[in-house]
Amino acid sequence: MSVKTRNNVHVHGEGSTTLVLAHGFGSNQNMWHYMLPLFAERYRVVTFDLVGSGGSDAGAYDRTRYATLHGYAGDLLDVLDACCDSPCIYIGHSVSSMIGMLAAIAQPARFTAQVMVGPSPCYLNDGAYVGGFARADIDELLDAMAGNYLGWSSNMAPTLMGVVNGPALGRELDQAFSHSDPAIARHFAEVTFLSDHRADLQHCTTPALILQSTQDPVVPVAVGDYLHAHLPGSTLEVIENVGHYPHMSAPHDTAARIAAFLQRQPGLS
Amino acid sequence: MTVPLISATEVVERAPCGLLAAGPDGMIVRINATMCGWLGMAPEELIGKKKLPELFTVGARVFYQTHCLPMLQVQGSVAEIQVDVPHRDGTRIPMLMNIVRQAGAGHCHDEVAFFITKERRSYERELVQARKTAEAALDARRDAESKLIELNAALSQADRRKDEFLATLAHELRNPLAPIRNVIELLKLQLPATEQATRPLAVLERQVGHLRHLVDDLLEISRITMGQVALRKQRVALAGAMQAAFDDTGPLAVAAGHRLHLALPDAAVTLDADPTRLMQVILNLLNNAVKYTPPGGDIWLDGRFEDGQAVVTVRDTGIGMPQQSLATIFHMFSQLTPALERSQGGLGIGLALVRGLVELHGGTISAASDGIGKGSLFEVRLPAASGMAPAADVPAVADAPVTQRRILVVDDNVDVTETMTMLLEAVGHHTAYAHNGAQALLQAAAYQPHIVILDIGLPDQNGYDVARQLRQRPEGAAIFLVAATGWGQDADREQARMAGFDLHMTKPIDFGKLQEAIAALP
Repeated sequence: MSVKTRNNVHVHGEGSTTLVLAHGFGSNQNMWHYMLPLFAERYRVVTFDLVGSGGSDAGAYDRTRYATLHGYAGDLLDVLDACCDSPCIYIGHSVSSMIGMLAAIAQPARFTAQVMVGPSPCYLNDGAYVGGFARADIDELLDAMAGNYLGWSSNMAPTLMGVVNGPALGRELDQAFSHSDPAIARHFAEVTFLSDHRADLQHCTTPALILQSTQDPVVPVAVGDYLHAHLPGSTLEVIENVGHYPHMSAPHDTAARIAAFLQRQPGLS
Repeated sequence: MTVPLISATEVVERAPCGLLAAGPDGMIVRINATMCGWLGMAPEELIGKKKLPELFTVGARVFYQTHCLPMLQVQGSVAEIQVDVPHRDGTRIPMLMNIVRQAGAGHCHDEVAFFITKERRSYERELVQARKTAEAALDARRDAESKLIELNAALSQADRRKDEFLATLAHELRNPLAPIRNVIELLKLQLPATEQATRPLAVLERQVGHLRHLVDDLLEISRITMGQVALRKQRVALAGAMQAAFDDTGPLAVAAGHRLHLALPDAAVTLDADPTRLMQVILNLLNNAVKYTPPGGDIWLDGRFEDGQAVVTVRDTGIGMPQQSLATIFHMFSQLTPALERSQGGLGIGLALVRGLVELHGGTISAASDGIGKGSLFEVRLPAASGMAPAADVPAVADAPVTQRRILVVDDNVDVTETMTMLLEAVGHHTAYAHNGAQALLQAAAYQPHIVILDIGLPDQNGYDVARQLRQRPEGAAIFLVAATGWGQDADREQARMAGFDLHMTKPIDFGKLQEAIAALP
């Protein structure tokens, strides 16, 4: 099975520099829908689905391999091997920020810069550290997922009524979601929300932009501050935004901040 | 009956579902009475003060954020999302939620409907719970399976260690047998041939011989188990092997008062076999028959050709076996209890060894008995070879007068060197000895031996190296070099040959064979 099939890899646009976009927990590469045109003008853009999500090959899902984020980081390096001849700019949303960071620690030469959208190195509160969640909250989330995934396709089927962006994308999304295996979704949730990569932060040398929303119910502002303080050479940008998806709810602002950050990187035009 | 006039507002306020509208940031801008009632809150506590996700439990809030909002944004609606909504008093109310995003020029808001789904939820929870239980059971089974695999691996390893231990044990037991045998040989030469002297000596010889058999069997079976036995196959006449085994067992059978009957197959029945091992198989079965037959019994050794197979049977009028033991009799350590009670002893490895050797030859073995006290029958079937038997392969021993030789005995075991030199001198040779490689080389130069019997496991260097050095010296070229190893493996033989040894003997050295080899020297 090729990496391109396994991770449902797509390449958009052209350019000397490659941007790799990785979606976060609970979604798929279609979440980059609003940002893609903004980037594809200037860069070659690679999007893909994490194994177990979207249009990836669910048969490749191995509970042992994906019991930690390192499994996904290995996949990311495979995608880079398959699609990038030179170091890339990596943009990861949510859990994919940490996946990208782990890959960048393992093979720093593959990355020019990384952009973390709504990242968190640890979702659980731990002593003075505020991750935003107690263990009971996570269990509740897993419950909520179990309930909603029980009949996922019917729960999330797009009602044609009120579709603003045309039915095509809606169907695409529905397909991606209805293909989600409930057991995989639950396992991924568990792995994501119980991960703790605070100790890895100090080992990352790739320049990083941290994009933190002012009101992100998944990642408290304190987490952005913590990351900025512990991730060497990082830049923190706080976006006036409600929600965990600034690239969807505030795509232009998000894109502008990313562009400004990239312009500051030596060697990138 | 007339229907009272109801305003649209009243319908909305009292609708049997919760309704609210929220701004683009999620802030509640309208909420109906039904929903307020379900929340236990007044509209003024909610409108402009609470955002939609704040109505949910933390888990539902995260799910809403990560799964619903993106869908809502792309599709403009989501339907039948399960959320838990806490009442003011803390009670969680399971609800289904539909959201439609209303977007127009310059404005955007979400319209949300809630339905209480207590019944449905409890049913679904049961389903989810059942699924969890099933998954847990599956996980438990996977765990149990992987534990079994681990356990299996541990068992295999323990079994391997046991085999290695048995091999080492046999090896170590064998070492002291060498000097003991030497002393027996020596005493036989030195003591007067009176009954008083020869009888105890015969007992000693028999018992040491018995001990050596046990140890050899043990060594052999552990090596078979570890897959270390390589057969030295050649064309063998079945009749010859049977005759040799019959002759060997004769004295033992006679001593026990048994009658031994032999029915040989046609001389043309041949097989490709390791003659030593084939002999071992037949001998073991005969010895067993002698051992487990009360004095005065009959033992039959029959050979025949049948369906392309060479068949050997050993039948006796002995103690027999119970039916349930027939299946396990060839397993290691499966001594029959009655046999133990008869204080016949034994390690219970003889038949396991026989089976191992037979199987190495591609054959089968089976046992039959009509029950306790009714005798036993063992049948070995080996693939027969096509073609003629070779010429007689057992060289006759000539009783030639002993030519006196200078013999250097090298072994770090002082008892071995001492008894071996005594024995060699007793039959008329000159001897010298050394206890390590360096001494051996010095002695060889000073003593100029005709023959050097060299132990391989010396403390300072191995015997192969000593042999190589000896061979390079002017006086070393003509020396008859005998290697003595404890293992007797084919690899050892080959290594010994490469190092320049003329003869390889397994410890304890069979003095008769050594004498034959020396006598055959020019």
